[in-house]
Amino acid sequence: MNTLTEDLKQLIIDSLDLEDVKPADIDPKAPLFGDGLGLDSIDALELGVAIQKKYHVKLDANSADTRQHFHSVENLAKFIESQKPV
Amino acid sequence: MNAAALHPEADDRVLALGERGTLTRAGFWRRVQALRSELDTRPARRWALVCEDAGWFAAGLFALADPRRTVVLPQAPQAGSLSATGAKVDAVLTDRPGDFQGFTLLEAREPADSIPAKPQQPDDAAAFEFYTSGSSGAPKCVPKTWSQLRLEVEALEQEWGASLGDAVVAGTVPHYHLYGLLFRILWPIHAGRRFITDLCLQAADLRAAAEHGRCIVVSSPAFLSRITAFTELPDAATVSAVFSSGAPLPDEAAERLVQQWGPAAIEVYGSTETGGVGWRAWDGGGERELWRPIQGVVTELREEAAGARLWVRSGCTWQGDWMPTGDLARRRADGRFALLGRADDVVKFEDKRLSFGEMRARLAQHDWVEDARLLLLPGRRKLIGAVVVLNGEGRAALAAGGKTAVRDALRAWLRGSYEALLIPRKWRFPERLPDNEMGKTQQSALLTLFEDRP
Repeated sequence: MNTLTEDLKQLIIDSLDLEDVKPADIDPKAPLFGDGLGLDSIDALELGVAIQKKYHVKLDANSADTRQHFHSVENLAKFIESQKPV
Repeated sequence: MNAAALHPEADDRVLALGERGTLTRAGFWRRVQALRSELDTRPARRWALVCEDAGWFAAGLFALADPRRTVVLPQAPQAGSLSATGAKVDAVLTDRPGDFQGFTLLEAREPADSIPAKPQQPDDAAAFEFYTSGSSGAPKCVPKTWSQLRLEVEALEQEWGASLGDAVVAGTVPHYHLYGLLFRILWPIHAGRRFITDLCLQAADLRAAAEHGRCIVVSSPAFLSRITAFTELPDAATVSAVFSSGAPLPDEAAERLVQQWGPAAIEVYGSTETGGVGWRAWDGGGERELWRPIQGVVTELREEAAGARLWVRSGCTWQGDWMPTGDLARRRADGRFALLGRADDVVKFEDKRLSFGEMRARLAQHDWVEDARLLLLPGRRKLIGAVVVLNGEGRAALAAGGKTAVRDALRAWLRGSYEALLIPRKWRFPERLPDNEMGKTQQSALLTLFEDRP
């Protein structure tokens, strides 16, 4: 099991105070916003801050990319991986 | 008069830009002209305008604005939001045709280059219907004419235009509500500034906008009170002005914004019904609670049972007449005023106006729901809680699928009419509401239902 993916799920649950949601309930490929987990624009902000704090990643100044990164847990994990110093 | 004005076909100044590309002024007027020609062949009189793309929304608005038609503007770009207004419409102009099956449609499609670009201001009598959350339980229709919108935009340019110059307008609030429509779209079009069509949701989006030039950020307390938590904000030197509306910006957030970023937010107080009423900006001094009226606005207090309610009159109020605001206030002789709280039962949640009565009525329409109550839950971040009493069918669903299945079904049900932000986060399904002996449900009793878990 990919630990980064699992960590991200827990981070989402903790930072957004999601009730009755277990990590196993979050499909890593499902959209976080809209019809998937149903997160809202404030969640996007809070999650952005939490991820920046925990992983010290730099979000590019490109909205299309940012939207892509925040699409799903899987995309977030890929993005964070790509930002790690080699 | 410059060459571009004489030859609108060749006016290649940028009007709007975003993920879907750049829209020139000539391109914008071509869109308007193409839609107008098509609209002239349609008998429909009442049109809903539902465009997710701000550039198309603007073109649709200018094309539809005509005294022969009424433009209906739902609260969100969803079919459910349109039906929730209860407004009867003949047709829908949209860039989301798939969502409006069964409706007569005019689809937003890029016109051929052969369509002429003809700049034309709407007729002052063109009619619009905005919708907001009313206290009665149903969305409330707020009629406006083009002259009200035009006067409002002219007042904004008079008040702040000179200091803003040739900036690009970036918004963190949606373009289909009056505030976003005025500040993100109509004001830039009027003043010849560029606007970003996409909604900015992260600090990174604002940095992207700043790459196009100095920015005017059209935002709200929900965004501005969180933005300083980001480590990488756009360079303060690239920001011409920050506007905040929807609710007062908390003092500590206003101060943090200045100390950790730079620009002081210009807070605008107003409502869909009244238009802009007053403004203030944090200057580190006292009297922060005082708002000054926007140019052309006159206010007065009228006593009622709950206290002194603020009334307002301007070119932007209906027929220039006195209108009540939703707030209690006190007022100084020089016209400045302080707000003392809402006079009605509609709540403000993350800058959005939400009628619990309306949401309760919507929940009660679900096949599983007997009755429901809603409340704001305290905490680091306020959340909306829903207390739902299920009927027989609902209890069967609860027994079969468990709490999460019922919760998810009801959340999905509300998503048809509400934006994600307003959908209750925490749910409780007691067998009956905790009513007191007077038959009234007390907020404190509802709150205890949420105290069983950390």
